[in-house]
Amino acid sequence: MKNFLEINDLVVEYTQNRQVVHAVNGVSLKLEKGKTLGLVGETGAGKTTIAKSIMRILPDVAAYIRGGEVWLDGENLLEKSEDEMYSIRGSKIAMIFQDPMTALNPLMTVGDQIAEVLLLHNTKDKKEAMTKAGDMLEMVGIPRERYIEYPHQFSGGMKQRVVIAMALACDPELLLADEPTTALDVTIQAQVLDMIRDLRDKLGTSMILITHDLGVVAETCDSVAVIYAGQVVESGSKEDLFDHPTHPYTKGLFGSLPSMAVGEKRLHSIVGLPPDPTNLPSGCSFWPRCPYATEACKCIPTEEQVNVGVLSSIPNREITPGHFVRCIKEGE
Amino acid sequence: MADTPLLEIKHLKKYFRVPAGQNHAVDDVSFTIERGETLGVVGESGCGKSTLGRTIIRLLEATDGQVLLNGEDITHIKGKKLKEAREKLQIVFQDPYSSLNPRLRVESAIMEPLQHSGRFKSKAEMKAEANRLMELVGIDERLRQSYPHELDGGRRQRVGIARALALNPEFIVCDEPVSALDVSIQAQVLNLLMDLQDQLGMAYMFVTHDLSVVRHIANNILVMYLGQAVEKAPTEELFNEPLHPYTKALLSAIPSVDIHKPMQRIQLKGEITSPINPKPGCRFAARCPYACELCEEPQVLEEVRPNHFVQCCRCKEINGL
Repeated sequence: MKNFLEINDLVVEYTQNRQVVHAVNGVSLKLEKGKTLGLVGETGAGKTTIAKSIMRILPDVAAYIRGGEVWLDGENLLEKSEDEMYSIRGSKIAMIFQDPMTALNPLMTVGDQIAEVLLLHNTKDKKEAMTKAGDMLEMVGIPRERYIEYPHQFSGGMKQRVVIAMALACDPELLLADEPTTALDVTIQAQVLDMIRDLRDKLGTSMILITHDLGVVAETCDSVAVIYAGQVVESGSKEDLFDHPTHPYTKGLFGSLPSMAVGEKRLHSIVGLPPDPTNLPSGCSFWPRCPYATEACKCIPTEEQVNVGVLSSIPNREITPGHFVRCIKEGE
Repeated sequence: MADTPLLEIKHLKKYFRVPAGQNHAVDDVSFTIERGETLGVVGESGCGKSTLGRTIIRLLEATDGQVLLNGEDITHIKGKKLKEAREKLQIVFQDPYSSLNPRLRVESAIMEPLQHSGRFKSKAEMKAEANRLMELVGIDERLRQSYPHELDGGRRQRVGIARALALNPEFIVCDEPVSALDVSIQAQVLNLLMDLQDQLGMAYMFVTHDLSVVRHIANNILVMYLGQAVEKAPTEELFNEPLHPYTKALLSAIPSVDIHKPMQRIQLKGEITSPINPKPGCRFAARCPYACELCEEPQVLEEVRPNHFVQCCRCKEINGL
């Protein structure tokens, strides 16, 4: 088994106001042990839904995993029972949520919140859990004396470090970090990212980092997948993506960055808006915004494909080893 | 008249009373903004950059200091004079989701400032003007009767910009206008703001924490730390040769999209200290790698190079000037 995590053709739908929201449309991802994969895309592209499907914490009634497999270390997580998942969550897979202000319980001391995870998974001994929780606080750079303080006594950066300490408490093998630094200031973001990198290297954790900030990806990830309208439109190593962005959407993302346009007056923005996930365009979901689109891009998927939830029949092609692009005009 | 800058800010202070004492949100900040200029104001959350913008356009009353608009002191004017001044000073807010009245349609929202101005005699004239503004900021005419919740973030921000432009202001405070938007939409709105400035020639004060955005849009940059201006310089000079230790650390902290450039990061220890009843010395001293005893004295903003101001007693020594 070469890949530690392998996701095959994942399809997730939400039901909202009697409409079907196509959040994830056939996503396949691979992650080797100890490596970091960056998921990049705009709001509503389905990044967080992918992470929540791995954790199996999608809302029960509204969301439906229509198809696909999530293999972690040789086991398909989507076939696990809720009880089995309960013991996997927090110990084998952990997640860092975007907003540290809402991810912590305001009525519990931060130390006890970390100890709670340990008591659930690692130990029955309360004393031992409290000592380990104190160690975790020190590891993320918070003095042990602050164990008995409440979240409101901490700043945003420190709260995020508490959340990270909680996620790492049981030495997870897979860490899902959902925009871990988006709510933080740049100097604090730099501190937190350095810390995540150090801990990852020290503990050998595999990581999926969800972000919309390409700079964060450049500094932290080994490989990257660009998500658009619930599909991976381009994936490959960091070098593939940053040196040879190929899909028109990836190119558009890079062109939109003010930092890439030094010396140029106008930014090369992408025209239009992301598509409505209840009503995705047929064929390539990017064609309405794509400057290179032709009739061939609007092709309609076969009935067979629709039945398994695949909405796009644009093939994912490997242009150089490991570098995949979902665009029929990639060569031009 | 031609020599007076558009706005002159002199020793502006804004303190808030909080249970623990006085929060020095803006503390003795002085600078000028020329006509048609874009001044970027950067700093971390809580450093007083939004308060500064709001105090200048009189949304907040200054505790002390002066704001001169075209050479005229507007810090304490009232009534009709204040109304006239406010027509020249506008603001675009950060969050287009909460800054628009959810019960006003797009057209009515844009017509609101027109009605208040009393410049227009009939409703038809106002409608025509609202239409012109919508076209100017790129909102389709068919969205005239839409409510804000029916629009996406980028379009909502365009409505906010149209409202700010309605009375031909000379100065607009853009308070994090693109930070709530996705990158591709952010680029559209930034392009729009730059095009409008080319056409209409107003000055912007661009408040943001995103340094790559101000680098793109601003002529000059003011760096704030805990209520004080620590450095002000022309944009490229600031990025190429930051002189204040805080600016250096701030610039080095930006994640770069250039994967081949080795990372050279100045790690700052600790976090921003509290702006409540601060000590008289340099407020950055607690995190500064160069801090010494002299830093406990009050610091002054000094012009170390033409147009390059730094507030640091060791600046010349550190940078070998």
